[in-house]
Amino acid sequence: MHSVLQLSAFLAIAVSILAPIYVPQTSLPNFEEVAVKTGLNFHHYNGMNGKFFLPEIMGAGAALFDYDNDGDLDVFLVQGAAFEPVSNPPAGGRLFRNDLEVGTNGSRKLRFTDVTEKSRILANRYGMGAAVGDINNDGWPDLYLTNLGSNQMYLNKGDGTFDDVTKNTATDDPRWSTAASFVDYDRDGWLDLMIVNYAEFSFTNSPNCYAPTSARDYCTPRVFRAPGNRLLHNRRDGTFEDVTVAAGVDKEFGHGLGVVTADFDDDGWIDIYVANDGDPNQLWMNQKNGTFKNEALLAGAAVNRDGKTEAGMGVDAGDFDGSGTDDIFVTHLMEETNTLFTNVGAAVFEDRTREAGLGMPGRRLTGFGTLFFDYDNDGWLDLLVVNGAVQLLPELIRKGDPFPLGQPNQLFHNTGNGRFVEIVEQAGPSFQLLEVSRGAAFGDVDNDGDTDVLVTNNNGPVRLLLNQLGSRNHWLGLRITGKSSRDMLGAQVDVVVRKNQVLRRRVRTDGSYLSANDPRVLVGLGNATQVEAVRVRWPDGSVAELKAPPIDRYTTIKQ
Amino acid sequence: MKLLCLLCLLCMFVICSAQTPLTVHWPDLSQLEPDVRDQIKSQQDILISTVKDTQSTKAKLSAAYGAMGEIYHAYSLTAPARECYLNANTLDPKDFRWIYLLAKLDQLDGRVDDAIRRYRIFTSLRPELVAAFVNLGNIYLELDRLEDARSNYTTALQKDPNSPAARYGLGQVALSQRNYAEAVEHFEKALALAPDANRIHYALAMAYRGLRNEEKTKLHLAQQGPVGVRVADPLMDRLVQLVEGARVHLIRGKLALEAKRYEEAANEFRKAIEARPYSVPAHVNLGAALTQLGDLKGAAEEFSKAVAIDPNNANAHYNLAVLLANEKQHQQAIVHLQAVSTINPNDLGARFFLAQQLLYAKRPDEALKLAQSLYSTTRALQHGALVGSALAELGRCGEAAEWQRKLIARAVEERNNELEAKLKTELQRYESCRP
Repeated sequence: MHSVLQLSAFLAIAVSILAPIYVPQTSLPNFEEVAVKTGLNFHHYNGMNGKFFLPEIMGAGAALFDYDNDGDLDVFLVQGAAFEPVSNPPAGGRLFRNDLEVGTNGSRKLRFTDVTEKSRILANRYGMGAAVGDINNDGWPDLYLTNLGSNQMYLNKGDGTFDDVTKNTATDDPRWSTAASFVDYDRDGWLDLMIVNYAEFSFTNSPNCYAPTSARDYCTPRVFRAPGNRLLHNRRDGTFEDVTVAAGVDKEFGHGLGVVTADFDDDGWIDIYVANDGDPNQLWMNQKNGTFKNEALLAGAAVNRDGKTEAGMGVDAGDFDGSGTDDIFVTHLMEETNTLFTNVGAAVFEDRTREAGLGMPGRRLTGFGTLFFDYDNDGWLDLLVVNGAVQLLPELIRKGDPFPLGQPNQLFHNTGNGRFVEIVEQAGPSFQLLEVSRGAAFGDVDNDGDTDVLVTNNNGPVRLLLNQLGSRNHWLGLRITGKSSRDMLGAQVDVVVRKNQVLRRRVRTDGSYLSANDPRVLVGLGNATQVEAVRVRWPDGSVAELKAPPIDRYTTIKQ
Repeated sequence: MKLLCLLCLLCMFVICSAQTPLTVHWPDLSQLEPDVRDQIKSQQDILISTVKDTQSTKAKLSAAYGAMGEIYHAYSLTAPARECYLNANTLDPKDFRWIYLLAKLDQLDGRVDDAIRRYRIFTSLRPELVAAFVNLGNIYLELDRLEDARSNYTTALQKDPNSPAARYGLGQVALSQRNYAEAVEHFEKALALAPDANRIHYALAMAYRGLRNEEKTKLHLAQQGPVGVRVADPLMDRLVQLVEGARVHLIRGKLALEAKRYEEAANEFRKAIEARPYSVPAHVNLGAALTQLGDLKGAAEEFSKAVAIDPNNANAHYNLAVLLANEKQHQQAIVHLQAVSTINPNDLGARFFLAQQLLYAKRPDEALKLAQSLYSTTRALQHGALVGSALAELGRCGEAAEWQRKLIARAVEERNNELEAKLKTELQRYESCRP
């Protein structure tokens, strides 16, 4: 089910508009929750002690990555910690190895084994998020953990163990970091690192805050100063250099929670989008000389169409409308909408949330993790939003809920005409649960050709939502690697299904909230039984083409 | 909890006896501010006695439920507010107030079909209230039903030709349709009617961007701000008047502060202090609002009061230090910044500020020590520059110059041109003072 192909150089051809593909809905649930059944026994601990410390409601994330290069996605789950000494502290972040068994008849047995101790990962700080990228081009994905306080860089040694190289690589950030993204912004073939920071929180300077009811509640981040982000350049010698000032990303501050990288103006250089909580978002456009310029306001992607700054949490970029450009989706607080910024070309954005039907459904919930992904493999990127309030919900208080922030998650189907429709009952029973969801990592965990979702819950159990629908349609799976077998984050992939039908995707692990996603590109083909070609634009700008790749399987394309 | 259940049962009972099918679920008041709790409880008592009173007319019962709903609504307890309004509406369907307030809750909760239905009923009963048509327009706009939105905004404008909210809505409809020239026309008129609503500048900028008018786009982006368009809404404004208690005034004040409505913010904070004289956040926030209004003396008084009440409030110390530094009272500023550093040792901004003040106060030894410690933690060039300044202030000009050259080399390496220029200017000074 897996093949490796070499490509020849090819001239880029303009992307044309995608024609809609219709796939009938089925009556079965789209997702089945299987975390405990598959051995993912993990309960997030937020350390809450009645003092309403803001960090306790913000984490935590997760990573889906193949740390042992055995072809299936393993799981890292970020854990919180106690704020004060407790008798039974949590065991820290956990690494679970995927021991997927695929029978000769295609049957799948999914099983996870906790290998944290063996891996030598010691993630016992107050964890927030995870990012994945191969920092030394050895073909083994490394793990970066953001924390409330010092972060941790874990180098994958390729033998099932990791080394904490934070100090040697100079990749720490002692502030409250949230999202991080590995990105080769200078096209030198080495992954750099963007770290997003949230607030200058301290336990001694955390004021009492109150809800409109007058009851004690969690503060907004605005009571703490915004610390600014950090950009680290990979020196190619195992160390990183802080280029925050030199690159110009110190020019704007915000309470950052989400980050996603993509080539928004299609100039061959990766740009960076930061979602801020209560501050204007930033669109750092790559100036192709090692510097960035924040053009979010003029580009129309800093605030919503009313000019209102929203509480940005999770974020993703993807070509939801088949226009050949990456659009942006940001999740927000209840009473705000989640906002869809449509890229009308050259990184000029329009807020088309209402037109896409995403306005009203977002107003009643507080969104965090999210991703553009094609859950039914019909060729159109859908959306999943995981929710959980940040201010106590009076209705849940009245019912005696000890952590009254729970809200249901949402699945939105892309109808192919620029609009989304919320799928409620058909999404599956787990979408009816009231939980405090935060992170969401997306990937094909059972390698059956559809995208599954790992959802993390604050002060709650992890959920693994296995996709039961997508593999009924045809699909194309791609792993895009460099000469060193590193996943080429930032590579742009155009899948030419047929004439006038091109699906644009990209290789990435970033996006969503505090989480790292499957670097493989999984493209839904609907009822198409073949693909004419795949064109890859590598992060260094060169372009290659593969004719008639095999479908319904994963193929590795090596630079 | 037992008391809560008892109240709930009692309420269920009294509602049944009044032959209304709806149960009002009492909210948990245990965590509310005592003033707020007392206010809600006394209204609950009124409701209970009205229901118990066999002489109560339907109109009287309706009014009691409605008043209870308003109080809940004012404190964002929306679920019991809805139940009360529903009862009030059932008992007296012609009382337009409860229909309108129910529609507002429907709109808030995303129950759009109910909201539209109720607003329509309301407008048939009270066609003169412009806010209802604007609200309807806003719902249709969000549903992307642009013609329905336009129709309601147009009706609102017919009733009040000077309604900025209706104008703004029409502008948004035109912007959605990419009819940029029409959008500009409406937004310009809305802005003329409500010049303080600086969020309109953003919409206007986007409309000009659509017309490819770069100059006007940038001009309006430069003026955009957080203040949105408001529509006169007497029924909702009434709820605002019902609110009591320091915390709620504090919340309102903060919202006004964030929206840069400083006078309004100051008034809310004063009310919070009136309700609770020893409220540290109220004093700190009043100080912040007064600072924005240019009343620095008044601001300093408020911060000082906050510090007196709570000597561990870092924000009050820091803000006071800023004001004192502004008045060149560096020694006093230092005292407060030292307090901040003790309370919050990780506040690097406060430590940097403190080192600066130590320099201004001619205490270079201490400034050097602090700057060196800061730089060793952060390796930030601006913190390094302070080390150079302190060395020079101590007369160690050679060391200062050498240090500065190293920093300049780093600034060049990091391509930080702005700081490089500043460091070079200071280097000249250090070199000229060299023995």
